[in-house]
Amino acid sequence: MTNNDMPTAEKCLTVAINVLIFGLVFLMLRLSYQISLALVAAVIAGLLRMERKGMIDALFSLFIRNRNVAACAAFICMLAIPLLLSTFRYQSHIAVMASIYAMVCLGVNFQMGSTNMVNFAPAAFMGIGAYSMAVVTMKLGMSAWLGMIAAMLMCAVAGLVIGLPTLRTKGYYLSLVTMALQLAFTQLIKNIPYLGGPNGISGVKALSVGGFSLYKTYTIFGVKLAPHFFYLIFCSLALAVLFYIALRISVSRCGLALNAIAQDEIAANCLGVDVSRCKLFSFLIGSIFCGIGGALYASLTSFVGPNDFTFTRSLVFICMVILGGMDNPVGVVVGAFLLTVITEKLRGFSDYAQLIYALLLVFILVAKPTGLIPKRVRNYCELFGRSLVPPTSEE
Amino acid sequence: MEMFWGLFMSALLLGCTYTLVAIGFSMFFGVMDVVVFCCGDIAIFGSFAIMGAYAAMQSAGLFAVLPFWVCVALLIIIGAVFCAALGLMTHLLSIKPFHNSSELMPLLSTIAMGTVIKEILGLLFKPAVNAVSKMVGGPDAMTVVSGRNPQAFPALLMPNGSVLSRNITIILITAVMLLLLFLFLNRTKMGMSMQAISQNKELSRMTGINVSKIVVITFLIGGVMLAISGFLLGSYQKLMSFDDGAMYGAKGFSAAVVGGLRNTWGAVIGGMLLAFVEVFVSGYIPRGTAYSSIVAFVVVVVFIVFRPEGIIGEKSVEKV
Repeated sequence: MTNNDMPTAEKCLTVAINVLIFGLVFLMLRLSYQISLALVAAVIAGLLRMERKGMIDALFSLFIRNRNVAACAAFICMLAIPLLLSTFRYQSHIAVMASIYAMVCLGVNFQMGSTNMVNFAPAAFMGIGAYSMAVVTMKLGMSAWLGMIAAMLMCAVAGLVIGLPTLRTKGYYLSLVTMALQLAFTQLIKNIPYLGGPNGISGVKALSVGGFSLYKTYTIFGVKLAPHFFYLIFCSLALAVLFYIALRISVSRCGLALNAIAQDEIAANCLGVDVSRCKLFSFLIGSIFCGIGGALYASLTSFVGPNDFTFTRSLVFICMVILGGMDNPVGVVVGAFLLTVITEKLRGFSDYAQLIYALLLVFILVAKPTGLIPKRVRNYCELFGRSLVPPTSEE
Repeated sequence: MEMFWGLFMSALLLGCTYTLVAIGFSMFFGVMDVVVFCCGDIAIFGSFAIMGAYAAMQSAGLFAVLPFWVCVALLIIIGAVFCAALGLMTHLLSIKPFHNSSELMPLLSTIAMGTVIKEILGLLFKPAVNAVSKMVGGPDAMTVVSGRNPQAFPALLMPNGSVLSRNITIILITAVMLLLLFLFLNRTKMGMSMQAISQNKELSRMTGINVSKIVVITFLIGGVMLAISGFLLGSYQKLMSFDDGAMYGAKGFSAAVVGGLRNTWGAVIGGMLLAFVEVFVSGYIPRGTAYSSIVAFVVVVVFIVFRPEGIIGEKSVEKV
């Protein structure tokens, strides 16, 4: 590989930027709400400015060139956050919620960002995952890991079932189908006595490894850890895996095909893209992501109820994806994190939360409809470290 | 048999309210080619505006001075003015700025607009406490009533407590609105231009139609339609909640799609079909009330998949 002749300075820079990013993440989680929100605003303004100056492009290519170093540094920094937050209960909770929401948003992004099919039902898919988890652990008394697998299977089936009508529809009709699904899901859950009706199911088991529950207060070396400590580590790892999958899909041939469908379905079909298969795939993988998020959510709160998976919640996910930047996994995760921090830090004003979301959504749509970190041109030459095509002047 | 006619009547009434919202959707879609998802919220806003105006008029003692029917007409006009203004605002703030961008943008911005309307209602509307407590019995039954609880809609259409007269009035109002709309669309120059824009925007611009003016007028008229549908819904349901808008809007849009978008009569047929399905499912199937909305949505999905152009819509062939 050509890594040897890369200057060491560049690697150091990569590590430093990683530390800076995760430092900012930590500060946003840790500080009181006034300072934290000011920081969020500063980050949003900074990202907009960097985007205009082309600095984000430079950053992306720097990270791609040193991707091994960047990945290692990011991994270590990511694991440092649970350690730094280990004794802070509420802050760890925000971090866990942010990672769960980021997973769901990555799932939504497959449909909304890549394929340009607006899915108004991510909360319903999340709900399917959460309820599968609840039924398997609570009603059937099995292990939470089986619940996780059940959630993924159920969501895959639901994704395929919902994906089928999408093969024949698009645009507004498709949004109406998903919207109908979302509204019907909430009604259905409220009216099935087995699933607890409006009261939901409580007592969902937390994930455990070899008898050690991941969600429990432990005291290690005399330090009383927050109950979220291990759960946060697990969620971060899960998010890292899902993020890696999303990244690989978006640079793969399949990701390209999804983008082609978004641009022009007929043209894509003429070019040999199997439109039906790709659309079904995007629904399948997206709903599995949502289901994993839902199962983790259920096992965190140990309670699932119909009010957690409403149409409004779906709008929040859509808002996150648009804020972060459609069709860019990095942007989606950033958007999910920022919006979760805003919501959780504004807990005292929860009456106004929906209003803030809606105004924010209008603001982004007017000011920067592509989001904070929009999608990039895929640079395969840099990605594979070799020159596949001679550089052309048209670029 | 008595049950059948009872259900038939309720279905007809519900269908009337759906029809007007569906017409709003169809009109907006016709002139702008966008689906305005906040129609339901605008309608709910109209009914809340009428509720607020009712409380204000009552405290001002206007009902003692003017005849009852004049007051009701005044209330409807107030609601219509509010909704027309809101329709115009929706157009200016969340549709016009996204005129040339992808169809995703107006979709999301109108949904956001709907959420803004809904939340403002939930935050600002301070109801007359005794209106709700009277319904659930006793003045102390609900002492704390925030804007987020369901609100009692004043029984404006049944001053002497007769349900039959209310039902007939609801159907009459809908019929009159449909007749007026029909006359407007087919007998006036403005209505004809509206139809022309719906068929071909570029060509109608070339023939000298002031498209932007007609669009504004469409949004004003659509707002009035939505206000009246909100009024009828309130009179029919008696209780209104600030967050009914999403469900109501989805029903209205479904009705418009089932009937055929862009088509006024399609909206009528779609609205009636949806209402009949809903009411008869809850009437004849045991425990069906809970599932009536779900069955209605299943009908919609089936229609979208197998007959996306609607019952009487024209089939559109996609050209490259």
